[in-house]
Amino acid sequence: MSKLWIDFTIAFRNLVQHSRRSLFLGVAIGSVTALLVLLNGLSTGVRETMIDTATTLSTGHVNVGGFYKVTAGQAAPVVTDYRKVLEVVKKTVPEMEFAVQRGRGWAKLVSDTSSMQAGVTGVDIRNEPKFASVLQMESGKLDDLGQPGTILLFDNQAEKLGVKVGDALTISAPTTRGTNNTVDVRVIGIAHSLGLLSTWNTFVPIQTLRALYQLNQDSTGVIQIMLHRNDLAKIPAIAARLRQSLDQAGYRVMEPDPRAFWMKFQSVSREDWTGQKLDITSWEDEISFMTWTLSALQGLSVVLIAILVAIIVIGIMNTMWIAIRERTREIGTLRAIGMHRRQVLWMFLLESLMLGLLSTIAGALAGWAIAAGLNAAHIPVPHGLQFFLMSPHLNLAVHGGLLVTAVVAITLVTGAAAFYPSIKAARLRPVVAMSHFG
Amino acid sequence: MRRMILAAALVLSLHGLAHAALTQQQMVDLLKQVDDRQKNNGDWRAQAYLEQKEKDKVDTVYNTEYFRRSADQKFMILFTAPKSSAGQGYLRIDKNLWFYDPSVGKWERRTERERIGGTNSRRSDFDESRLAEEYDPSDEGEEKLGVYTAQKLLLKGKPGQDLAFPVIRIWIDKDTKNVLKRQEFALSGRLLRTSYYPKWKKIYSPSKKGEVYYPEEIRFYDEVEKANQTLLLIKAVDTNPLPPNLFTKAWLESKSR
Repeated sequence: MSKLWIDFTIAFRNLVQHSRRSLFLGVAIGSVTALLVLLNGLSTGVRETMIDTATTLSTGHVNVGGFYKVTAGQAAPVVTDYRKVLEVVKKTVPEMEFAVQRGRGWAKLVSDTSSMQAGVTGVDIRNEPKFASVLQMESGKLDDLGQPGTILLFDNQAEKLGVKVGDALTISAPTTRGTNNTVDVRVIGIAHSLGLLSTWNTFVPIQTLRALYQLNQDSTGVIQIMLHRNDLAKIPAIAARLRQSLDQAGYRVMEPDPRAFWMKFQSVSREDWTGQKLDITSWEDEISFMTWTLSALQGLSVVLIAILVAIIVIGIMNTMWIAIRERTREIGTLRAIGMHRRQVLWMFLLESLMLGLLSTIAGALAGWAIAAGLNAAHIPVPHGLQFFLMSPHLNLAVHGGLLVTAVVAITLVTGAAAFYPSIKAARLRPVVAMSHFG
Repeated sequence: MRRMILAAALVLSLHGLAHAALTQQQMVDLLKQVDDRQKNNGDWRAQAYLEQKEKDKVDTVYNTEYFRRSADQKFMILFTAPKSSAGQGYLRIDKNLWFYDPSVGKWERRTERERIGGTNSRRSDFDESRLAEEYDPSDEGEEKLGVYTAQKLLLKGKPGQDLAFPVIRIWIDKDTKNVLKRQEFALSGRLLRTSYYPKWKKIYSPSKKGEVYYPEEIRFYDEVEKANQTLLLIKAVDTNPLPPNLFTKAWLESKSR
């Protein structure tokens, strides 16, 4: 124990003795660590924002949806007799935090001046615990969505339709049997845009959606199951369990298909069956058409981190070579008075690891502080970027685990980079080293 | 004075008789007459020009050829222009309407109430009239439409019929029994579309051994999006027998090869 302490002391003193070089290299390693923390924080932040936004706007963590076909050619995103399905879900998924049922529709919204096609989601706002936490209202009151014949729009949609709170809209769509129908609704609220998903999602009371599609009280569009964050890794297992339970309960369950429900209409319509089939999907399936943004961001992070790590490795190796050259006589003397090669190797490695550890801790803390500062500053994201990030503000999620990972990883990289120069130093012959001038 | 009152009463009662409500049977018979005039009882081939005008959008124009066979209610539309849509088509087999797009080489099953080419026209606008079969009429009296005197009927879809428009108000020319105007409503009762039939033509049909009437021009006005309208022109009608293998997926696919 005391020997290890002496080794640490020597290593620390050596670092202090070569303060300029240590400081230069330490700042470089610290900066790279801070960048790593920030890049990962951004990637994690986007992912978490995406999950939070998507699981509020358009999907649960796990969904029990499906299609009802009146005839082979007419598929509607409807789950009939949903209360019985919900009972099976409750029994099968004890991890469930809560579940909501929502209606699904695609309709034309017509105002006095304009029109647009949009997704119309039927919600029961009184039983939507997370809804208010994600939406930021620009005008109007979210609670008014409990009144029949109302609609909640996003600012980009309201702008396109030329409407404000209190204005009337007509929603026009064919029913599940293909008969044209309309409902007149009043705009009760306009929420700030939340990117890609909010461009085509609107919300109406589920009763209004049922009136539009002529559905009965026992029909809904989807049962969205919300899990605790710690259980998100269990989603594939829960989905498999649900498929088995629903199948055993006598429901026809569609084969797993990792696509959003609206991307399945064509294939479902081509199939020769009628009646009800249930479809189990995860949140990733339902927003599979846009997770490429996350993959792209993660890919970009990996490339940047790889470049930064390469810079560190080159920098450390270079610095170590200089250090060894400068300290060749010292090495020769240490070897001459009895220091083993292994000890020389250990001394140089320990110096690098200590420098790496101290620098990465400082860098990780700096990265964390910068991320916290950026989050507190509520920096607005450019409009184009909002579309993909699904948040009006920059959000970096830096967790403890990420900091520890960054510190350990960069420290190990630093040690690994110093390994070869340290071996070369340990292999120096004392006579040659002591007679070295330079 | 007494004579004058009697004369006035007589005139009023005659006028009333002239406008007396039609009985249910009379209305059904009237609808059957409308249907029969348009029924071909054989094969049908014609060209249709479709023009869609929408607010803030470029006008959409299609040239199509469409085919019908009364015996088994077969129906097919082939798009011939513009180039980007040429080869696309709809084919009705049994009760299913299929859409073919040669650019992807796939058939998609569509609803029978499909908007043709995304315009405001429906398959039923190209098909034989089946008003008596699909709707129950109620009398709404007579009305003048320009120089024409029209019988106005409110038609409600019969139970079990899957119809694009569950309620229709129709104006039928009292003299010719041609449809002059239609208003089509949503389930909610909202007026969705008004159609005008300004020109009717007739053609001799060998299969019917009589004349078939068809609207040469139909104008559809969107009543929800007021600025949108569609024009349908029907020309080059041919009622001679068509090849037996015409109403097949293979035939439609061959048109884009």
